[in-house]
Amino acid sequence: MASSILQTTGQKRGMILDPRTKLLLLVTVSIFVLGGLDGGKLPFMTPTLCVLPLVLFLTAGKIKSALICLVVFMGAYLAGGLLVPQLSGIPQFLLLGCAGIFSRVMPGVVMGIYVVSTTTVSEFTAAMQKLHVSEKIIIPLSVMFRFFPTVGEEFGAINAAMRMRGISLGGGRAGRMLEYRLVPLLTCSVKIGEELSAAALTRGLGGEVKRTNVCRIGFRIQDMILIALCAAAFAATALAYLGVL
Amino acid sequence: MSTNTIQKKTNRLTGKDLINVGIYSAIYFVIIMAIAMLGYIPIMMPMLCVVGPIIGGIPFMLFLTKVKKFGMILIMSVIMGILMALTGMGLYALPVAVVSALIAELVWKRANYSRAGSSILTCGFFNIWMWGNFIPLFTNPESYFSTRTEFGADYEAALTALLPGWMSPVLLICCFVCGMLGGLLGRSLLKKHFSKAGIA
Repeated sequence: MASSILQTTGQKRGMILDPRTKLLLLVTVSIFVLGGLDGGKLPFMTPTLCVLPLVLFLTAGKIKSALICLVVFMGAYLAGGLLVPQLSGIPQFLLLGCAGIFSRVMPGVVMGIYVVSTTTVSEFTAAMQKLHVSEKIIIPLSVMFRFFPTVGEEFGAINAAMRMRGISLGGGRAGRMLEYRLVPLLTCSVKIGEELSAAALTRGLGGEVKRTNVCRIGFRIQDMILIALCAAAFAATALAYLGVL
Repeated sequence: MSTNTIQKKTNRLTGKDLINVGIYSAIYFVIIMAIAMLGYIPIMMPMLCVVGPIIGGIPFMLFLTKVKKFGMILIMSVIMGILMALTGMGLYALPVAVVSALIAELVWKRANYSRAGSSILTCGFFNIWMWGNFIPLFTNPESYFSTRTEFGADYEAALTALLPGWMSPVLLICCFVCGMLGGLLGRSLLKKHFSKAGIA
């Protein structure tokens, strides 16, 4: 399940964006929504940027993902806005925590899922090479890119197995939860990693000569529009700090 | 001549080393992110400096068994710093990570990439990067909370009471000590499981 959300297949991808545009969008969303760059001066900014990943999911043809995100996000937003002022003490802390996680972290996470799920590793590598990033950073990052879904998938499977053996919070053997989950996770990750590096080496990763790449990446009209949008967001913030807006 | 070129090659980072860095960074990052979610409960915020390094020590100690060249810890730290910036934790983690990773690299290099005691010390130094995420809380608390108004005044008051200025060095030492504890934990798990399975 988790892998089908996160992994990119070559076909049926809807609107294609340049990976560099996607990275810019990811940075913009996380700076504004997670980091709160505008400092509350521009109240329309955060909601606008929260809607952006949903629109992008729709253009990429992932309607189900967009709907799930919309429902969770609206739920968290409403809970944070309506329920929290009614409560106080510990329930408020807990609800605030949950609502805070969702309304603050979700847009960034959704944007991250969009980037990972619509970019192939080759496209990502090509984009990073065009940005002249050192190979010492590109290779680990592209491996991580490929590896996050695997870690999630393996962890889900291990979790299910351990629940069956009664090693969970309610199962009476909670003390062993950590060890019995992390050790299998690490063991199988190491094995998968060895296979991955063998596969990557046969494809010429880390060789002496410069690697070529068949992916055609470049900026199109949709990229221009989205880059202009990001630039507008930063410009508006700069103006707000200068006191014009 | 031929031995010379081989020598030169083995001192440089190869594709396999970089792939290893990627794999362990992914595991480490997933674990740290899962723990960081606890920070929304105020009392857990300073506790992140305790829980994070201890649990993160387990994958890191396994990673250290693969580190035989200069630069691998540094790349992992830089990636952590970049990811912290991308996930909105601020830019402070990156310079802190570079400095702490350089110290960790030097300690681990001096130990010839093999001594058990030094590996625990290396783990302690490496984990100092986490302290970087807390810097804005001490240097500029007003702006930090102005971006997090929706958490409410209760959260802000609780967190400010928990983190007075003198907590800053305490957290730094805490990261280091708990990193070493995590190293010990990782080391014992390594002995118990991984060397038996032949992967450490």
